[in-house]
Amino acid sequence: MSAELAVAGLHTGYGSSIVLRDISFEVPTGAVVCVMGRNGSGKTTLLRALMGVLPIQGSVHLGDRDITNWPGHRIHAAGMAWVPQEDAVFASLTVRQHLEIALGAADVDEGIAAAAGLFPILGERLDQPAQTLSGGERKMLGIAQALVVRPRVVLMDEPTEGVGPLIVEQLVAAIARIAARTAVVLVEQNIDTAIALGSQAHVIEHGSIVESGDIGDLHDRGILEQRLAL
Amino acid sequence: MTFSAALGFLPTDSFNVVALIAVFVLVAVGLHFTFGLLDVVNLAHGEFLLIGAYTTYQVHDTTGSVVLGMVLGPLVAALVGLVIERGVLRFLYDRPLDSLLATFGLAVIIRQTVQLIYSANPRLVPDPIGGSFTIAGLNVPWWRLIVVAIAVAVVALVATLFSKTRFGLEAQATVRNATLAETSGVSTAAVRAWLFAIGAGIAGLAGSVLAPLNTLDPQYGLLFLVNSFLVVILGGKASLRGLVIAAVVLGGSLAILQFVISTVIAQIVVLVIAVGGVRVRPILTQLIAEHRERRAVSIE
Repeated sequence: MSAELAVAGLHTGYGSSIVLRDISFEVPTGAVVCVMGRNGSGKTTLLRALMGVLPIQGSVHLGDRDITNWPGHRIHAAGMAWVPQEDAVFASLTVRQHLEIALGAADVDEGIAAAAGLFPILGERLDQPAQTLSGGERKMLGIAQALVVRPRVVLMDEPTEGVGPLIVEQLVAAIARIAARTAVVLVEQNIDTAIALGSQAHVIEHGSIVESGDIGDLHDRGILEQRLAL
Repeated sequence: MTFSAALGFLPTDSFNVVALIAVFVLVAVGLHFTFGLLDVVNLAHGEFLLIGAYTTYQVHDTTGSVVLGMVLGPLVAALVGLVIERGVLRFLYDRPLDSLLATFGLAVIIRQTVQLIYSANPRLVPDPIGGSFTIAGLNVPWWRLIVVAIAVAVVALVATLFSKTRFGLEAQATVRNATLAETSGVSTAAVRAWLFAIGAGIAGLAGSVLAPLNTLDPQYGLLFLVNSFLVVILGGKASLRGLVIAAVVLGGSLAILQFVISTVIAQIVVLVIAVGGVRVRPILTQLIAEHRERRAVSIE
């Protein structure tokens, strides 16, 4: 199976401090690959680096295109989208405006209908500023904004963190539906959620991948629990 | 009794107050782009006025047409702004003190270059229309009326740009969260470059249309620098409406006070109003928000 996303020998950091070392992994078509690790291990930094926010050494390929160190908007146009952990919305812009920004030249009506299909509550809140949405609705908006352009790969940074159980259920169901047509890189602390959604997992410790494999297998051998110190 | 006579202390050319307010608005709208939106403490703002004004002077001197100069003035200022943004400032958005220093240096370079080419002798640009008319005892020079119309048109255009266009939406996203905007598909580098060029161009336009009202010299831009910062800070950095209100309050105060007291004292009073205004604004904003909330509740 061909890889939608291939990362090889990636090093990155902030200024002179190196955060990630020699990260290599692939995301096959239709797979949900979980990136796990304790707080501060570099998971969020990895997604930021892949999205072009941080300069990197090494290489990143999206399909057969080398997108290493492209600016973020070109990476977005090439088919990779990002759901950041927090501040994933522009406070004073409406739901509709968020979707319009992501859609660019694409068909806005069709995109908005697709977003409302994924999260019906957003369809009712199209003209509301993002700052008036609940925490869960903002998460939905972040995901919808990433997905309306039908990316090849979507990077999600703890999409279920900090929201109530009911919303988590909706988000997990939505991500499962997305995964049927889009490759997903999922940063997730919750092992149950990761197992429910993911097929493979990579565990990062101190900026390096220390375990990789089938997520069910890693779980059965107790490695996830041990590495995440639960 | 006429309007101006009723005000007693104002002479018949009190329309100058309105024109001065318009100039305040125009200069401040330019700074709204570079400082208000892009957060660059742009000490070269006055020099973009200077570029607009001297371009108008030069074009008139060469071709005899003031109007052509006024078309080219803003374009040249915008082009210089674009070059400065791409060449220097884009590397400094996360380094506010460095960008302050850079714009200060650029301001000195531009000012000295103008002095080198045109000397420090005052230059004149003729009024492209000339003449005036009288309405209700008020003497209204045609050119000043046009300056007011241009300021109103620029504010309307800028408001439309932000509320109705794709570029406006991308600019709002970039200003609020550049990382998120970039990774959502917005070329934030292009948006910032355009914002800076537009800000510089509007400053150039202000310099051009003002040229027939003042004598030009290389210090010309400095006159407006402090006042335009006062207007943008008092009006709230990201608010076009607040900026227009602040320009009317400060420009109006300065213009009226200049009739009754010396310019220096008038400027001091305006500074006091600005400082007091910055102190009072959050309280006013709070009161307005509470009032709106009460009204919304009572409507429900």
